[in-house]
Amino acid sequence: METTRQDIATHKKGAKAHTDEVVVEMKDVRKTFGTKDVLKNVSLSLKRGENLVILGRSGQGKSVAIKCIVGMLTQDDGSVKVLGEEVAEKNDTELKELRTKVGFLFQSGALYDSMSVRENLEFPLTRVLKIHDRAELDKRVEEVLDAVGLKDAIDKMPADLSGGMRKRVGLARTLIVKPEIMLYDEPTTGLDPITSREISELILQMQQKYKTSSIIITHDMECAEITADRLMVLNDGEFVAEGTYKELESSKTEFVRSFFK
Amino acid sequence: MAEQELSGWKKGLEEAGNQVSFFTGFFRNVFAGGFEWSEFVRQCYEIGYKSMTLVGITSFIMGVVLTLQSRPTLVKFGASSMLPYMVCVSIIREIGPVITAIICAGKISSGIGAELGSMKVTEQIDAMDVSGANPMQYLVVTRILATTLMIPLLTLVGDVIGLCGGYLAVNLTDHTSWSLYFNKCLASVDFTDLLPAVIKTIFFGFAVGFVGCYKGFNSNQGTESVGLAANSAVVSASLWIFFLDVVAVQITQIFYY
Repeated sequence: METTRQDIATHKKGAKAHTDEVVVEMKDVRKTFGTKDVLKNVSLSLKRGENLVILGRSGQGKSVAIKCIVGMLTQDDGSVKVLGEEVAEKNDTELKELRTKVGFLFQSGALYDSMSVRENLEFPLTRVLKIHDRAELDKRVEEVLDAVGLKDAIDKMPADLSGGMRKRVGLARTLIVKPEIMLYDEPTTGLDPITSREISELILQMQQKYKTSSIIITHDMECAEITADRLMVLNDGEFVAEGTYKELESSKTEFVRSFFK
Repeated sequence: MAEQELSGWKKGLEEAGNQVSFFTGFFRNVFAGGFEWSEFVRQCYEIGYKSMTLVGITSFIMGVVLTLQSRPTLVKFGASSMLPYMVCVSIIREIGPVITAIICAGKISSGIGAELGSMKVTEQIDAMDVSGANPMQYLVVTRILATTLMIPLLTLVGDVIGLCGGYLAVNLTDHTSWSLYFNKCLASVDFTDLLPAVIKTIFFGFAVGFVGCYKGFNSNQGTESVGLAANSAVVSASLWIFFLDVVAVQITQIFYY
């Protein structure tokens, strides 16, 4: 069934439960690679329960920004706080602890291709949450696979899955540890329009089910329309616009409007 | 600090620093607790058992060739009865360990380099890291310890098979009984031949695993880097084996002869 703007609005209304508590805060963040300033004084804040979409052309520093949030990259200047804690000041152990609260869905899904779907999902449970009880593992795996609609794929290998299924399993593996914050790096890239829409709707459903706050990086406008409570547009290492989908759609800036054409 | 483009010797220093950091990271993770036993056993199976055929065939051929090549010279000096002695000492002290390690560098080090390189390129290692799991402990520690344990064992198996190859070659031209051949072989070597050879294979095994893991773990983005990681793993591991062999021979000379 086709998802209309009305449906999306209704869906979001149900999902809308964000508070004023800031869970991710970037202030004046600067990041340079060689001589290229990838991020120049970038600031953003994500509220609890909110879905923030970051739009921007390729190579503008969107992925770098969320990699700073999860501590995969360290900013050259400025501050990145997650759940009130400065990420750059954390040692390895503290960073691992913090990462259990932050889920990261990679563009490719990044499934461990030597493991079956079940083993992929059990991996963070046994290694991060240290759950070794067979019944508990089975319960959690089945629950999360059910949520992403892939219960039948439990014993399949990643190579046997389609692009959309890999993204779903990747999402399931991230959500299985019940993170408070989700970071999506171009979740619909490389998918056909129908599967892209399904993934976008799934992101919204998962936000409702698991009560997560999300930052979604995309240049897929349908994904942005479906998932975003708020959008920010990154260009040349700086945020140049911020607002709701409707506000940005009718922006006075030609560059911002060009995303919606 | 902004990442700067380093060139020439600075890049060399950076590479050396990265290797030292990887080396210390390995030892830190070995003793960090939470050892991945099941993955370690799986790697021992993959690295040890699955290399057995290749090592066995190569060692057998080396035993045959060594015997056939040496015999005419020994016959010329009237020392053909020394053939089992010469074959055994050569295989146990040098040919067995080095040939086995070189084969493993080609098969295992490149395999590890390509596997981890591919995991790096497809963001699987990043995904593991970001999830709060420890990729160093799961992927690196298990593989390096498995090669360190399995290559000495493969060498011992290879030595025995190489001697069997020697027996076959001796019997192509003469007739020597199985018991006489092996009695002569065993009489020709003692503890001081076997122990240094086994000890150096432990270091060879470590080098094979370490180089493969380092190259794979630190490969850049892009599929080309997977091939590069596999290729440079073989080259570096082979060079390390020869270097370690020279050091081991020097140390053995000092202590035993």
